Amino acid sequence: MTVTVERGVTSKQPHAGHPRRPRDSYALFLLPGVLAFLVVIIVPFLMNTGVSFTDWQGVGSPEWSGLANYRELLDDSEFWASFRHSLFMVVAMAAVPTAVGLVLAAALFDYVGKHFGSKTVAVLRACFYLPQVLPIAVAGIVWSWILAPDNGSLNELLKAIGLSSWQQDWLGDPDIALYSVMGVMVWVQLGFPLVIFMAGLQRVDPQLHEAAELDGAGWWRRFWHITLPQIRPEIYVVLTWCTIAALKVFGAVYVLTKGGPGGATNVPSYFSFTTFFEKTQVGYGAAISTVLTVMILLLSLIGLKLQTRAEEREGS
Amino acid sequence: MLTTRKRVVATAVMLAGSLLLTSCGDSDSGSSGDGKTLKLWHYEAPNSAMGLAWNEAIKEFKAKHPGVKVEFEEKGFEQIQKTAPMVLNSSDAPDVMEYNKGNATAGLLSKQGLLTDLSAEVTKRGWDKKLSASVRTTSVYDANGVMGSGKWYGVPNYAEYTMVFYNKDLFAKYKIPEPKTFDELTAAMDTFVKNKVTPLANGGAEYIAQQYLYQLALSKANRAWVDSYELYKGKTDFHDAAWTYAADTFADWVKKGYIGKTSSNVKAEETGVSFIQGKAPILFSGSWWYGRFVDEAKFDWGTFLWPESNLTLGSGGNLWVVPKGAKNKELAYDFIDITMSEKIQNLLGNKGGVPVAADTSAITDPKSKTLIDNFNTLSQRDGLAFYPDWPVPGFYDVLVSETQKLITGSEQPDGYLDALQEAYDKGVPKQ
Repeated sequence: MTVTVERGVTSKQPHAGHPRRPRDSYALFLLPGVLAFLVVIIVPFLMNTGVSFTDWQGVGSPEWSGLANYRELLDDSEFWASFRHSLFMVVAMAAVPTAVGLVLAAALFDYVGKHFGSKTVAVLRACFYLPQVLPIAVAGIVWSWILAPDNGSLNELLKAIGLSSWQQDWLGDPDIALYSVMGVMVWVQLGFPLVIFMAGLQRVDPQLHEAAELDGAGWWRRFWHITLPQIRPEIYVVLTWCTIAALKVFGAVYVLTKGGPGGATNVPSYFSFTTFFEKTQVGYGAAISTVLTVMILLLSLIGLKLQTRAEEREGS
Repeated sequence: MLTTRKRVVATAVMLAGSLLLTSCGDSDSGSSGDGKTLKLWHYEAPNSAMGLAWNEAIKEFKAKHPGVKVEFEEKGFEQIQKTAPMVLNSSDAPDVMEYNKGNATAGLLSKQGLLTDLSAEVTKRGWDKKLSASVRTTSVYDANGVMGSGKWYGVPNYAEYTMVFYNKDLFAKYKIPEPKTFDELTAAMDTFVKNKVTPLANGGAEYIAQQYLYQLALSKANRAWVDSYELYKGKTDFHDAAWTYAADTFADWVKKGYIGKTSSNVKAEETGVSFIQGKAPILFSGSWWYGRFVDEAKFDWGTFLWPESNLTLGSGGNLWVVPKGAKNKELAYDFIDITMSEKIQNLLGNKGGVPVAADTSAITDPKSKTLIDNFNTLSQRDGLAFYPDWPVPGFYDVLVSETQKLITGSEQPDGYLDALQEAYDKGVPKQ
């Protein structure tokens, strides 16, 4: 009892001997976020994981099936094919946009900005960023018109410039469809790294570039030896963020191909969706999404770890 | 006493708990209603035959039930299809709802105890006498959720079937007579191909392509074959004569140019539009297009049943179902009764739908008359063979995906049939 009274007094008089720790007052501000995270992310994730150990059709009582869904997943060629497609998506949504975004950001910053002014840079940056603002459903429908085999704009353009032999069934040919979706995703994704890298370039000390230029370093050498190392934190953030986006890509595949033709563009999130709602195999769908979540978490942790290590190396 | 941090944590846990309890809701409240409100959901477009008929039925219902408020919510087909089990399992269920028929949909819900057994009401109000045997099949489900026998869980007010829509102007342009036989149909397609016109409107990304294929199989099948495939009354062998003929012929038609090689990723809507725009002279699809073609096609067109086939795709339409948790079931039955009345059925027929209980002499529109006459022909010869994706949940996606491969040539007919067999055997109920 004595202890309780003492603690009570202490809490009422934070400045009398035991000043209130900032962490306690911060906790109040974190409360709404924590609650939302708990209700929207953690609890559904745990429930989903629980469901993944059952044989459930979404209604009625779920029957406990242990690891059966995970065992089935290991032998499911469709699931592994969807994961292979995910790796292609990582190339399209993380690797290519990061590489191209870097070069474009540096070109806009170093060349276009100096020769055409900041307004031109702002307009170009907005143009590159526009696909990020467009709802993916809208972008997908527009691209499905562009890539339509019979009277799509791309095929019409190729015909108009005398390249009829290059015309393709861009989204309907299983040998090409995945690359077509990848192309659309590069277009969608490019604006994000570009904007982040341009923001990063703002904080690079211009004197470094000036000094290198005086020493006779060309644009490429300055880009390689100054720009790249200086904006490494941004590169890590972009790569991690885009890789996660690539692994859970859904909207574009849904609108453009619905995983077809013949499963050529199926990805885990779409596979999970059809398993849930079309096949009503909720338990199995939950297992797919649980595996997907765990993989995304692992990749994110690896990304963060690499970033921290690199920062520590630079610090030391 | 708790420290500040502990209080924060405790509050968080309590709040989270109460939020969770709230979000889970009372899944079995099912309290009885006040008889003053009818909560109704359907997903027919307001300008479609069904939409117009159901709206008229709502007016009629209000007139007959003064003081009762109708809370109508227009839903999307996909919306109801994907969320029905969750909604019906909650206290938000409507009193009466339009729902898709078949083992994987209404059958599944009935098996899970989410739908009201309407058997007593069906007999009492005489709905069973108005529905033909083939239309009735999708209304009754056994304890395993398999259609064809058991209790009544839904009532269809219209029917649907597939037919060949053809562009008379294009046929006339190339001097092709209306095909009466299968050979004449293929001869017509040959003529179109010679004139560099792809004859068949096709969409591989959705249901259109698989329906061509199923129709080809049906032309070599009989009722026992359908019962075996759809109702599990025997073993289905995808390498039998009918399926083999269908897959071989379909692949051959792609080679011959009857079906566009670039149609593998085309959606149903685009397929219909290509017919409406006069690009494709022939479309084999369902009566659900009929009203739209009447409205939008700017050329002369006609229809005929698939030549030399007793069976075609079709069934009773979507069902009116009464959720188990419905609060005003009597009002729901009254509403269904009105949709079955001659007045509403005749309206449905005159607007391009296929009514199940109309007075045919009251159908005045000539195109609608042809539509209904063709249905009666089919109905009399027990010719409705349902749809290929019904037997197994998720089979629709398998059919789409595998038929796309057949169109692109990345799969041979034999491999195609192997894939169907594997998915079918995996999903068919173990009895």
